[in-house]
Amino acid sequence: MTVKKSDINHICDLSKLRIDENEISIFTKQISDILNMINELEQADTNNIKPMAHPMNMSQRLRKDEAILNNDRDLFQENAIDSEDGFYKVPKVID
Amino acid sequence: MERFTLKKLIHMISQREISSAELVSMYFERIKKYDHFLNSFITLNQESAEEQSLIADKKIHAGNYDLLTGIPYASKDIFCTKGIKTTCASKMLENFIPPYDSTVINQIKNSGAILMGKTNMDEFAMGSSNETSYFGPVYNPWDLERSPGGSSGGSAAAVASGIIPIALGTDTGGSIRQPAAFTGITGLKPTYGRCSRYGMVAFASSLDQAGLLALTAEDIAIFLETMSGFDPLDSTSVEEAVPQYSDFVHNSIEGKIIGLPKEFFNNSLDSDSQRILNQGIEIYEKLGAKITEISLPNVGYSVPTYYVVASAECSSNLARYDGIRYGYRDDDTKDLDDLYRTNRQIGFGDEVKRRIMTGTYVLSAGYYDAYYLKAQKVRQLISNDFTEAFKEVDLIVGPTTQSPAFSIGEKIDDPVSMYMNDIYTISSNLAGLPALSHPVGFIDKLPIGMQLIAPHFQESQLLNFCHLFQQETDFHLQQPQPFLDD
Repeated sequence: MTVKKSDINHICDLSKLRIDENEISIFTKQISDILNMINELEQADTNNIKPMAHPMNMSQRLRKDEAILNNDRDLFQENAIDSEDGFYKVPKVID
Repeated sequence: MERFTLKKLIHMISQREISSAELVSMYFERIKKYDHFLNSFITLNQESAEEQSLIADKKIHAGNYDLLTGIPYASKDIFCTKGIKTTCASKMLENFIPPYDSTVINQIKNSGAILMGKTNMDEFAMGSSNETSYFGPVYNPWDLERSPGGSSGGSAAAVASGIIPIALGTDTGGSIRQPAAFTGITGLKPTYGRCSRYGMVAFASSLDQAGLLALTAEDIAIFLETMSGFDPLDSTSVEEAVPQYSDFVHNSIEGKIIGLPKEFFNNSLDSDSQRILNQGIEIYEKLGAKITEISLPNVGYSVPTYYVVASAECSSNLARYDGIRYGYRDDDTKDLDDLYRTNRQIGFGDEVKRRIMTGTYVLSAGYYDAYYLKAQKVRQLISNDFTEAFKEVDLIVGPTTQSPAFSIGEKIDDPVSMYMNDIYTISSNLAGLPALSHPVGFIDKLPIGMQLIAPHFQESQLLNFCHLFQQETDFHLQQPQPFLDD
C-alpha cells in the first residue's frame, strides 16, 4: 500500500492539518511505511472473531440521569486566548 | 549522592531523622544541581511544595499524619494539576493551566505526598525516546548521549538519577516499562481501569493507563494503594477492591508457574539480552517458581494492531485541539478553516501529526473495515491468547525491550523502526493486562529490563515476584556513574 501526495492532502483536509509543501514528500513516505507495516494484519485469520472495543470487554457505564450544576464558565474561559462576555471569539464565518 | 527509596524516606520521617521541609529542600537542590544534564522537568512547583512541607511538618509534629505525609513525588506532565501548567510537552498546551486536578493527582494530594514538579515526556505521550517533546529531549543518566526511552522519559530519568524518589507515568504501549528498562528502575503499568483516567490528557482512551516509576517494587506497592480504585468520573474505571499491595510483596512464590512465550525469545532479541534474561529467570527458579514454555500465537501482530487502534483513537481525541477554547492560538488567520489548520500546524509536532494522519486514514471512508475493524478483531485474538495462557501459568515473563537504550537521534527519522521498540510491551495494553519492568542486568554499563505480565487486577502478584527478586539481587540498587559524585 503506497499513499500518494493527493491522499496526504485529503487526510489533512479531514483532520484540519496543514503540511508545508516541502514536507509533503517526507510525510507521504513515512505514512506509506507505517501502512505497509500495518498491512501485516491481512495475514491474521479473523473469521468468526468479534471486534474488541474495550480491553475488559465491558459495556459503557452510564451515570444516573440527574441534572447537575457544572458550569464554571468564567474559570474555563481563563484558558481561552480570545473571549468576551462569556463567548469565545473566532474569525468571521459568514459574510 | 545517595538515592533514597520511598520506604527509607517514610522511615526517616517517622523517626524524625529529617523533616518534610528538609526533604523537599534537599530534592529541589538535587534538581537544581543535576537536571540541566537531564532536562527531566518541564515545570517545578517549588513555592507551593515548600508551603505544603511546612504544613506537613506541623501534622507530623502533632503525630497526626499518614504514611506519605510530606514525601516528595513528581508527575508526568500529562496529569491535569489545578493551577499548575500541564503542557503534555506540546506547544499546543504550552500555556494551559487546568482548572481542576486529575483524580490520581487528587488522591495523592489527599495522601499527603507533595508534588515537586511536572516531568518531561514525548509530546502527548506519542513516542518511545522522549525526543518528540516540544521542550527538548530527556537525557539518560547512564549515558547522557542516549535516550531514557519514552514516553515517560522525564519521570524515568529523574527517579534513576535520584533527584526524585518516585514519579507518576502513563503507559499506552510501553511508556512506563520501556523507560524503566532503559534507566535501570522499576515501572508498573496497572490493569486498564485500575487507576482513574479522569484528568489524564487522552491519547488512546482504550489503552491509556496511569502507573508508577520507582527504585523498588515495594515503593510502587506503597504508592499504588493511594492512587487506585473506582472513580465515577472515569466511565471506564472498574469497581474492584484495592488490595493492600505492600502486604502481599513478601509472600512466597514457591510452586508458582512462570510462562515464557516462545514468541518473545526469538531472533528479534539480541544475544546479550537473551543471556541476561536467562540469568534472571534462574533467580525466579531459585525462589521456587516453575518455568514452562508457552505460546502466544498472535502476539506478533501487536505492533500493527496497536498502530491502527492507537492512531485512530488519537486522531479522534486530538480533534479537540482547535485553539479556540484553550491551546495554541495564532492571531494571524484569515478565516475559521485557516484558524484550525494554522493552530494545529504550529501547535503539533511531526510525530503527533503522523499519528493523527495515520488514524484519520484508517478511519476514513473505504478503509474502516480493512484497517480499524480488522485491528479490533486481531486485538481480540491477542487477548484470547493471554486468556488461554493464564489457564496454565500464573505469570508471563519476557524481555521489556530488544536491546539497551539507543542513542539520541538514532531512530527519530524512521517512525517504523521507532515503533518496533514497543514490540514486547504493546500486547499487555491491547489486552488491558497489568505489567511491570524491573532491572535484570547490564550490557556495557547500560541497564536491561525484564518484563512480568499478570492476569487482570493481579498487580499484587507482579509486585510480589519483583520484590522477592530484588531481595536476591542488587541490579535495582546500582546507580548511574555521573550521579554518584557529590
